[in-house]
Amino acid sequence: MSLKWRIAIILGLVAASIWALFPRTVIERVKRNGEFVYDTVRRVPLKRGLDLQGGMYLALEVDESKGVVADKAKAIDNALKVVRNRIDEFGVSEPLVQKAGNDRIIVELPGIDDPRRAEDVVQKSAFLEFQITDETQALEKALPRIDAALKDAKVTVAAATPGAAKDTTSAGLQSLFSTDTSKKADSTKKDTTAVAGSIGGPGAFSKLIQQGGMPGEYYVAQKDVPLVTQYLSLPQVTAALPPGKVIRWSSDTASLGAQVYRPLYVLDAKPIITGEYLTDAKPNTSPTEGNIVEFTMNNEGARRFRVETGRHVKDFMAIVLDQRVMGRPPVIQSAIGARGQITMGGKDLQAAQDLALVLRAGSLPVPLKVADVRQIGASLGADSIHKGITAGVIAVALVILIMLGYYRFSGALAVAALGLYILYTLAVLAGFSAVLTLPGLAGFVLSIGIAVDANVLIFERIREELGHGKTVRTAIDEGFRHAMSAIVDSNVSTALTAAVLYQYGTGPVRGFAVTLLAGIAASMVTAIFVVRTFYMIWLNRSREAQTTLSI
Amino acid sequence: MLRILHDTNYNFIRWWKVMAVVTIAFILLGIGSLAIKPPNYSIEFTGGTLMQLEFAQPPDVGVVRSTLDEAGIRGAEIQQFGTNKEFTVRVQNAAAVASQSKGAENIAVAIESVLKKKFGDNNVTVKRTEAVSARVGDEFKRGAVIAIMLSFLITLVYLSIRFEWRFAAAAVIATSHDVFTTIAFLKLMHLEISLTVVAGLLTVLGYSLNDTIIIFDRVRENLRKGRKETLYETLNRSINETLPRSVLTHATTFAATLALLLFAGEVIRPFAWVMAFGVVTGTFSSIYVAAPVLLWIERKWPRKTGVRQPSSTATPTSRTTRSPVTATR
Repeated sequence: MSLKWRIAIILGLVAASIWALFPRTVIERVKRNGEFVYDTVRRVPLKRGLDLQGGMYLALEVDESKGVVADKAKAIDNALKVVRNRIDEFGVSEPLVQKAGNDRIIVELPGIDDPRRAEDVVQKSAFLEFQITDETQALEKALPRIDAALKDAKVTVAAATPGAAKDTTSAGLQSLFSTDTSKKADSTKKDTTAVAGSIGGPGAFSKLIQQGGMPGEYYVAQKDVPLVTQYLSLPQVTAALPPGKVIRWSSDTASLGAQVYRPLYVLDAKPIITGEYLTDAKPNTSPTEGNIVEFTMNNEGARRFRVETGRHVKDFMAIVLDQRVMGRPPVIQSAIGARGQITMGGKDLQAAQDLALVLRAGSLPVPLKVADVRQIGASLGADSIHKGITAGVIAVALVILIMLGYYRFSGALAVAALGLYILYTLAVLAGFSAVLTLPGLAGFVLSIGIAVDANVLIFERIREELGHGKTVRTAIDEGFRHAMSAIVDSNVSTALTAAVLYQYGTGPVRGFAVTLLAGIAASMVTAIFVVRTFYMIWLNRSREAQTTLSI
Repeated sequence: MLRILHDTNYNFIRWWKVMAVVTIAFILLGIGSLAIKPPNYSIEFTGGTLMQLEFAQPPDVGVVRSTLDEAGIRGAEIQQFGTNKEFTVRVQNAAAVASQSKGAENIAVAIESVLKKKFGDNNVTVKRTEAVSARVGDEFKRGAVIAIMLSFLITLVYLSIRFEWRFAAAAVIATSHDVFTTIAFLKLMHLEISLTVVAGLLTVLGYSLNDTIIIFDRVRENLRKGRKETLYETLNRSINETLPRSVLTHATTFAATLALLLFAGEVIRPFAWVMAFGVVTGTFSSIYVAAPVLLWIERKWPRKTGVRQPSSTATPTSRTTRSPVTATR
């Protein structure tokens, strides 16, 4: 290859690299005064990993604690769409949602500063049901059975805890179970059965619940909520519950005098309609009801809704989201069509916004749980970049010192090639949209030290050839030729290791493997091709042959 | 021309016995220490929760600990991280990890809320959270083991193609040696084994192999020249001939590693330590493991027709009839 071509190729690569790395204007979703807006940003097109720019990584799995899921792979596929829809609306710059393996969803949210909210939005099932409250006093009829069941269960529970074994009164049980963490509850041990018109049974269960203000509504003192929840989850109690009905907590509390209660609803198990027909949901603030979410159904949903509500005029309809009754069930005045609303109780507008978001994006077909979460603050990421660059600059300085000190003129050629190496490597990373992570940055700094190895090999060879009394030109040719096999073998074996690392690594480690691979490719080009060309330029500079080489 | 270690004629391999004793002692020390106490695996491998917290004022660590204890988060390790305002909280015990099977974020959420309650909302900032369920941890562990095994296998195959099986086997054994010494080093330095450290380990493998290849490449070349000398002598000659290169390359690599160790921050430090040690063990193993092992293999399975020789005078110059032991005398 002629010298002209070699120079043209090197300059071409430099131009391409500069083009690849030139700061460009991109449209991005950025945060301005707490709001996400689209804006143009000018930046170097190098992708930073979550550990460098701050953000959140989530790995989600199907949660089978609430029931076995038959076809997990399919469920994950469906859940993936929903999660993606939600994240798209959530407002993060360049989010990533993808499937990993057969049973996992990976979510990456760069720059997120409220990880709890993000988790919540991703994980919320958002399963919406409309259910009619029970009109048949089914719970009252079932109460003796429940109390009896508890009496049986109580023996086993009490026996399990020494010291409480003799205490078979419900009060004893209460203290045993009660993990009372409620903040709102009135701590005075007032006899709760006396407040509202009550069922007032002597049984362990019936003692705790009182008749509410509408059919199927019951009140439980806030401090008893954990206890009742515990009772309701006992298998003996579940068996005793009225058939065809479900029991759901309210998402809100209700105050009666000094006491705070949480309503408990008995509902017809079969919903009259579910959220699958929903086409739109919008947050709003109503002067009377506070924050609400207004929703719209599609034509088929509206038709069904009209028919079903028409059949249940004067009944109460509970709006149930993820098994919680939202607000107080309203009475159905007449058939309802396509529109409705969900009251948020005391929750803020952001909660309404998030609910509207998840309702629009659709409900999750299966519950998801977090299997792996990494969250890194933006300041920590910036700090890592700063430190990484410092280390890089120092490494470069030391390597330049060693190379110039030992190889003089040839060392200078190697240093020039090292400059190109850095440029090319970064350009390769930008060109392949590779993600630069903290281990990747470390790998890059390290590779600066290793990159000159090929030069060292070649230089030592040239020295040997010169020592054998060869002319400068021949020594250079021979030096490159002889060093080649060692350079290729060692680089290929390192590249193979890096490829394995890429295949089996995750996130940051994968970033490391990518930098390593890019570095190997770039160092082969610079050490073999670029330095050779430099020598050729030097040899061609003067007509007469160079007789000495500073190496 | 500045020259160091030019035209040397050290008998490196002569010391192989001493070096074998040294390195075996080091590895046994590491393994013995592993037998007494298992290594520190990071939460990536065991499952658990790690949080890096910044407090507005330097907190009383005792108070932080008791706050967590009261909230039922037991067995948390609290460590200062850099300044006296920054701490890491690590919860890695079996009970905590088990509770994360319901949702990996549980413990992190609890830690954040109790500490914010105790110290005030604005006085505690979570700078980093990592929470891994045991299942994901098992996968990472398996992935790491597979990665190490696979890179061995692939390298062995590549080297067998490029060199021949004796060289390949010697190189892989030398590299395995580096895995053991590095693990011993990790243990003796009380470094935590994390994914990044495993990546560092694999880089050390690549680096060490690289070094072995450079020497073996020279051996291959010298064998082709068909000198009248034993393999023992050829190996020594090749090590001496590549010595200036080795010194230079290790110097630049070590310079970069040093920069990482001193300036790249706490997160990268374990990785930098592994690399720093890797430069040493990689160099060592190329000379004192790869070469003696190659000699041993040659003695056990001598070549029938000498080395693949393009110049093929077919003199069995490479065959060593003497063991490395007798050769040193």
